[in-house]
Amino acid sequence: MSRNPVVVTGIGVVTPVGTGRDEFWDNLLAGRSGFAPVSSFDTSAHTVHLGAEVRGFQGADQVRNLDASRLGRASQLAIAAAHQALADAGLDSSAGLADPGRAGVSMGTTSGEPLEVERFDDFFLASDLAGMGTEFIVRYPCHVIAANVAAELGFEGSATMIPAACAAGNYAIAHAVDLLSAGRADLMLAGGADAFSRITYTGFARLGAIAPVTCQPFDRNRKGMIPGEGAGMVVLEPLARALARGARIYAEVAGYGLSCDAHHMTAAHPEGAGAARAMERALEVSGLNADEVSYISAHGTGTPTNDRLETIAVKRVFGDAARRVPISSVKSMLGHTMGAASAIEAAVCALAVHCDRIPGTMNLEEPDPECDLDYVPNAARELPVRVAMNNAYAFGGNNASLILRKCEM
Amino acid sequence: MANPRRVVITGAGLLSPLGDSPEALHAALLAGRSALGPITLFPTTGLRCTQAGEIPAFDAQALLGDRNFRPLDRISRLVAAAAGKALAASGWRPEMLRQTEVGLVLGTMFCGVHTIAEFDRRNLTRGPSYASPLDFANTVINAAAGQTAIWHDLRGVNSTIAGGAASGVQALAYAVDLLRSGRLDAVLAGGADELCFETFYGFYRAGRLCGSAADGEASGAEVPVPFDARRNGFALAEGAALLMLEEAESAARRGATVLGEIHGHGGAFDPSRGEDGGRAARAVARAIGAALADAGIAADRVGAVSAAADGGVLLDRHEAAGLESVFSGCRALPVTAVKSMLGEPLGASGPLQVIDLLETMRDGALPGIRGLEELDPVFPRAVLATSPEARSVDFSSAPFAVVDAVGFDGQCAALVLGPAGPAMVGHGDGGGGGGGSR
Repeated sequence: MSRNPVVVTGIGVVTPVGTGRDEFWDNLLAGRSGFAPVSSFDTSAHTVHLGAEVRGFQGADQVRNLDASRLGRASQLAIAAAHQALADAGLDSSAGLADPGRAGVSMGTTSGEPLEVERFDDFFLASDLAGMGTEFIVRYPCHVIAANVAAELGFEGSATMIPAACAAGNYAIAHAVDLLSAGRADLMLAGGADAFSRITYTGFARLGAIAPVTCQPFDRNRKGMIPGEGAGMVVLEPLARALARGARIYAEVAGYGLSCDAHHMTAAHPEGAGAARAMERALEVSGLNADEVSYISAHGTGTPTNDRLETIAVKRVFGDAARRVPISSVKSMLGHTMGAASAIEAAVCALAVHCDRIPGTMNLEEPDPECDLDYVPNAARELPVRVAMNNAYAFGGNNASLILRKCEM
Repeated sequence: MANPRRVVITGAGLLSPLGDSPEALHAALLAGRSALGPITLFPTTGLRCTQAGEIPAFDAQALLGDRNFRPLDRISRLVAAAAGKALAASGWRPEMLRQTEVGLVLGTMFCGVHTIAEFDRRNLTRGPSYASPLDFANTVINAAAGQTAIWHDLRGVNSTIAGGAASGVQALAYAVDLLRSGRLDAVLAGGADELCFETFYGFYRAGRLCGSAADGEASGAEVPVPFDARRNGFALAEGAALLMLEEAESAARRGATVLGEIHGHGGAFDPSRGEDGGRAARAVARAIGAALADAGIAADRVGAVSAAADGGVLLDRHEAAGLESVFSGCRALPVTAVKSMLGEPLGASGPLQVIDLLETMRDGALPGIRGLEELDPVFPRAVLATSPEARSVDFSSAPFAVVDAVGFDGQCAALVLGPAGPAMVGHGDGGGGGGGSR
C-alpha cells in the first residue's frame, strides 16, 4: 500500500453545523450543535421531534452544469460538497484535468434519494400516479448520486455508488483509495450523501433510537441519536501527483479495514467482534500499532448500545492504550447524517491531522461506568495528531475503520 | 506490473426466470426460450406493458431450510438462496465459513425499494406504530447483502454496489480488486434485483419499457429485441446470481473446481448519459479497452462477447458503436445478447451473463439473440456476428470472452473471462485504450 500513497488534498462539506470547511470546522471546535425541530415534514405522530437538517440549502445555487430541478436533494447536497472539495484542492472541475477519463467518483449513501420514493408514495396513496410525472426512475435510484456528481464535473472515470448504509462514506473512500493505488485513476472524489427523510426518521423512531432532547454520546443518560442529513466529499490523489502540482496535503490515507458482523441487521455484535476486526485490519494494513493512534473519531451515535459496544471494541483492540487515546463523537453536534456521516467524519480526521486539534464530544454530562474512556468531553482539544482513526458501523453489520496520518516527508 | 494474485471462479448460484442452475439457464438460452410472460406479482391494469421475466414462485423454505426467514424480505430471500447455491456449488461448507472470512459483494439497482415504499405507505396510512422495525431494517440498500451475510455467516468485507444494469459487473470488478489486493481469499459476488410495481411503473412512465412510449407508434407491440431495428425498449425482469471468486492459489490448495478466471475488468462513465452518442460509445469502448488492458490481452484474443443490449433504443446503439471501435480489427466476432430471452434483470444481468458464458466456454455453444429479424442498420455486421439462434463458437485461437455492462445513467463496465491460467500476451492491436494495466 505504502509504495503508492494516497493523500487527501480537498475537503467539501454541507452539514447541519455549517457549509464549507471553515464554517464547519469552526462550529465543531466551538461545540455548536445543528439540532432543531424537524421542518421538512410533520412529526406530530411521533414522540420525538428533533432533527439535524441542513437549513437554507438552495441546490439551484450550487449546481452549475446540470439542471438542479431534475436532481434529488441528496444529489444536490453531494454536488455542492464536490464543488467545494475540488476548489479547496485548487482544482476547478474538469478544466484542471489533463484526462477526465482518469478522474472518478466513489460515493456512499444509506437511502439514496428517499424523497423520490416518498413522492411516489404520496401520488400512489392519492390514487393519482398519473400525476407523478415521468422522472421517478431518473431521480430515485441511488446510483444517480454518483452519476450526477460525475456528470456535473465532467469526470469520465468510473462512477461508483456504494450504499453501505451508515458506514458508506468510509466504504466509498476506501474504494477510491484502492482505485488510485492500483493506478486505475489519477484523481478521485469520494464521500457520502443522504437527504433528511420521513422514512428514515420513522424507522429510527420505531427502533426507539432517536433522542428526545439532545444527542449525548457516551453519557450515562444518553437516549439516542438525532437523524440528520448532509454530504461530505474529499479529493484523493496519489502523493506523487499532489506533490508535483504543489497541492496542500491534509493527510495520507494510511489504510482501512472492513468487516461484517454477520450477526444482526440493526444491532451490533454483543462483544464488538466485527468492529474490532475492522480496527485491527486497518491498523495492520497501515503498519501501525494501536498505541500510535492519536485520535479516534467514534461512530458514537449516542444510542445506549452503540456507545457501550464501541467502547468494548476499542478496548479489545487498544488494550492499555485505550485509556490514553482521545475519542470523540461529532454526532453530538452534527447528528447522524447517515451515509454522509463517515465521509464527513473522515473530513474531521483529515482536519484534525492537519490542524492538530480535535473536536469534543458535546453534552457529555454524566459519565457512564460502562463508557470509561477519554471521550474529550464538552470541549475541543489541541494536541499533536499524527494518526487518526475513523470508525463507522452500519445496518447489515457493516464495519469500516479508516486511518489517516500526517504526510511526513 | 503483473499482479501475482489471480482470481478464479469456483462456483455459481442463481435464481432466474429461466432456471435456477447454470445448466438449466444455459439449456433454456440455447433453446431460445423467452422468460417473458404476464406479470403475476402485481396488477398491470391500464398499462400498455403487461409482460416481464418473473422468477417462478420459489419455495423459500425448501431453499433456505427450517430457520426463521421471516426477517428477510423477498429480495433478501432471493439473494440468500442464490448465495446458498453458490456456496454449495463451490464446496464451501458452514464449518469452513466459521474458520475463514468470506466476503460478499452484491450489485443491485434497487435492492428492496418495494419494502421501502410499503414501509412508508404503512406509516402514512396507519401511523408510525404500524411501520414495523423489522421492515425498517430492510429499507437500507445494503439490506439483502446484510441479511445474506447473517444467513450464511459471511464475516468478510460486505459491500453493495449500485450502478443500474451495470451493478452486477461493477460488483464483480470490485470483488476482483479485493482479492487481488489480498484483503480476502474468497468472496461471493454478483447481483440481484426483484420485480416490483415501483420499478416496473417507474421504467414504464419513463418510456423505457418495450411498448411503453406514450406515442406508441405500434400500440401494444412489445419488441424487446436487442440490436433489432424494431426494438422499442426492454422487458423488465428479475434474478439473483452470485459467483464464488477465489484467489487462484488458495482455491487450488483446497482442491476447488475452477470454472474459469476473471482476467481483467474496466469501468468508465459517460457524462452525457447517452445524450451524446459519440461520448456514450466512447465510454463503452473505454470500459472494454481498460478490461482488455487489465487482462493484458489484445482484442483479437476475444472469442465471444455477451452484450448488455436489452432492446433499449439508444443504449443498444451506443453499445454497438462502442463494440465496433474496440473490435474493429476483428472479423465476425460472435456476439450474443441474452436479455433477448431473460429480459432486463438489472443487477443480476452481468452475473447471469458471466454464468452463461462460462457454460459457453465449456461446451462451445453460444445462445442466439431471440427474435432478431431486422438487424439495426447501424450494427457493425462486418465486425460482429449475431444470430437469432444458438451456434457454436471456436475458442481455440481466441480463448477469452467479454461480458459487457451498460447502466442507464452513463455507467459502463466490462469483464474479461477466460480459462484459468496466466493470460498469454496476445498479438495485434491493444484494443481500445483506456489505461488501467498498471
